[in-house]
Amino acid sequence: MSEAIKKKPELGSIKVDPSGTVQKTEGVNYTIYSPRVNDLGNLYFVEVDSNVCEGCGECETHCPTGAIQETKDGTRSIVDPAACMNCGQCLTHCPYGAVTERVSYVSEVFEKLKDPDTVVVTMTAPAVRYALGECFGTPVGTYTGGKMQAALRRLGFDYIWDNEWTADVTIMEEGTELLERVKHGGKGDKPLPQFTSCCPGWIKFCESFYPDLIPHLSTCKSPVGMLGPLAKTYGAEQTGVDPKKIYTVSIMPCIAKKYEGLRPEMHASGQRDIDATINTRELAYMIKKAGINYMALPDEEPDPVLGMATGAATIFGTSGGVMEAALRLAYEVISGKTLADPSIIAVRTANGINKVDVDVPGFGPVHIAVVSGLDNAAKVCEEVRAGTSNLHFIEVMTCPGGCVNGGGQPVDPSIMEASVFKKMVAKVNKRFNMRKIA
Amino acid sequence: MKKGRWDLSRRSFMKASGLACGYALLGFRTAKESVASVLDMVGIRQQSVYSADANPKIYKLRKSQENPMVKKLYAKDGFLKDGPCGHHSHELLHTHYKDKSMFIKALKKKGVELAM
Repeated sequence: MSEAIKKKPELGSIKVDPSGTVQKTEGVNYTIYSPRVNDLGNLYFVEVDSNVCEGCGECETHCPTGAIQETKDGTRSIVDPAACMNCGQCLTHCPYGAVTERVSYVSEVFEKLKDPDTVVVTMTAPAVRYALGECFGTPVGTYTGGKMQAALRRLGFDYIWDNEWTADVTIMEEGTELLERVKHGGKGDKPLPQFTSCCPGWIKFCESFYPDLIPHLSTCKSPVGMLGPLAKTYGAEQTGVDPKKIYTVSIMPCIAKKYEGLRPEMHASGQRDIDATINTRELAYMIKKAGINYMALPDEEPDPVLGMATGAATIFGTSGGVMEAALRLAYEVISGKTLADPSIIAVRTANGINKVDVDVPGFGPVHIAVVSGLDNAAKVCEEVRAGTSNLHFIEVMTCPGGCVNGGGQPVDPSIMEASVFKKMVAKVNKRFNMRKIA
Repeated sequence: MKKGRWDLSRRSFMKASGLACGYALLGFRTAKESVASVLDMVGIRQQSVYSADANPKIYKLRKSQENPMVKKLYAKDGFLKDGPCGHHSHELLHTHYKDKSMFIKALKKKGVELAM
C-alpha cells in the first residue's frame, strides 16, 4: 500500500467530452456538467426534453410528488427543482427516453483518473453490482460484483473502497441509535418511531413535506455519507495519503445521490466528503469507453480496510434490507443470544407497506414497518404525525422495491419498446395539443 | 362563465371519448403487461440480492457486527474508539436535517398544484 500513487492505465487516448455536451449513455441522455455545492440552489437533476416528449403522461403516474406536469403544448416538464425528489422513476419509465439527466461527472472523473497526482477512490453502492452486468448482456439481476471491482481497478481507481463496508458501519451506528431511543422510551428530542435515513429521495421528501417529523429521522448519514468522510480521514491515515489529494467517487444506482453528494453539510472531513457522484449507467459507459472487456474480467475483491462487507450490507440494495440488517444486530444486542438464522424473511418487501412484529427474547415484539414508495411513506408519516403509530422502526425507500430499482439503474429495454398503439395515441395527442386554438 | 373542472369543450370531449375507446379495446392489456414486466425485473434483482447474501462464497459473514474491518474501526485502539454513536462518530457520521417546507409553500402560493 506504500506506493500510494500507482501507475495509471492507458486512459490518455480517451477523448473527454467538454461540459455542456449531451452524451447518450445506456439509452439515457446526459448533459456533461459537474456542479459544485454552491450550484445546488436551483439545480435540475432530471428534466424532460420537450423535443422528444410525446406527451403520453407515463412519467406522471410514477412521480410521487406530482412535480412532473403537463405544459401548454402537451409535453411534460418538472415544475420546480424543489418539488422534485430526484428519484428518476420518471426517467426509467419513459417509453421515449425523453427524460434526461442534467448532471454528469464522467468527464471530470476521467480527468482525475488521468491525473497522476490525484488519488481517486471508489465508493460503490450495493445495488450497482446486481444490475451493471445488464449493460454487458447478462440476464436481468445477475450479480457481477467481482467483475465490477476488477473493472474499477482497470479504470485506474487507486483504492477500491465500497459502501457495503460503510453499510455495515451504518448498522452499528443506526442500530445503536435505535437501541438508545428504545431505552429512553422515545422521550425528548429522540422520539420513536425512528425512520431510516439512507435514501436521499426520502430525506428530501421528509424535509419538504413532513418537517415536523425530522426528529424521528435517524441522525446517521447514509453509507456513502459515511464513507466520504471516513475515506478522507481514516482512509488517508491507513494508506498514508494526503487527504487533500483524495478524490472520492460515489457510484450509485440512483440520481438523488447526486443531490446528496452536494448537500452543504457533507464536509465533515474538512473538505467536500463526496467529490463526484455517478450512477450504474455512467459506470457502464466509462467501462465501455475505456475498452474494457467486462465479461472477460476475473472476480476481484475490494481493498479490505474500507471495503470488506457482510451479507447484511449487500441487502441494503433492496426494500426491507436495511431493516433486516438492523434486526440482525438489534436481536443479538437486546436478547444477548445468537440469531441462529440471519434470514428474516417476513420483512422482505416488494412494494407497499409491510408491517411486521418481530419477537425478540427479553424485549417482546419489536414493531417495524418497511415502506416502498413515497406515496406509501406519506401514509405512514400521517400515522406518525397523528400519534396513532405503535411502531419502533420504519424503513423508507423512495423507489418501489428499493435501490435495485433506482433511477440510475439500467433501463428495462421493454419500456423503451412501447406498443405501436401507445405510440400512435401519444402522437395524436401531441398533434392535437399543439394545434389547440387559443 | 368560469369553466368548471369537468366542463369539456366539444373538441376535448371527442378526444377523451376516442382515447377511452382506444384504451378499452387495446391498451389495457398492454399497459398491464408492461407494469407486470417492470415489477418482474425488480423482483428478479431483489431475489439476486438475497441469493448473494445467503451464498457463503460471496459473503462469508451475514451480520454487520461480525465484520472484522468494522471491529477494527471500533476497536479500543481503533479510529472510532468511543464505539458507535460516540463523540467522533457524531462528528463524522451523523448529520442534521433542514426544514425545506418553505420551498413547497412558496410553490403552492404561486398556484402550483402538487400531489402532496
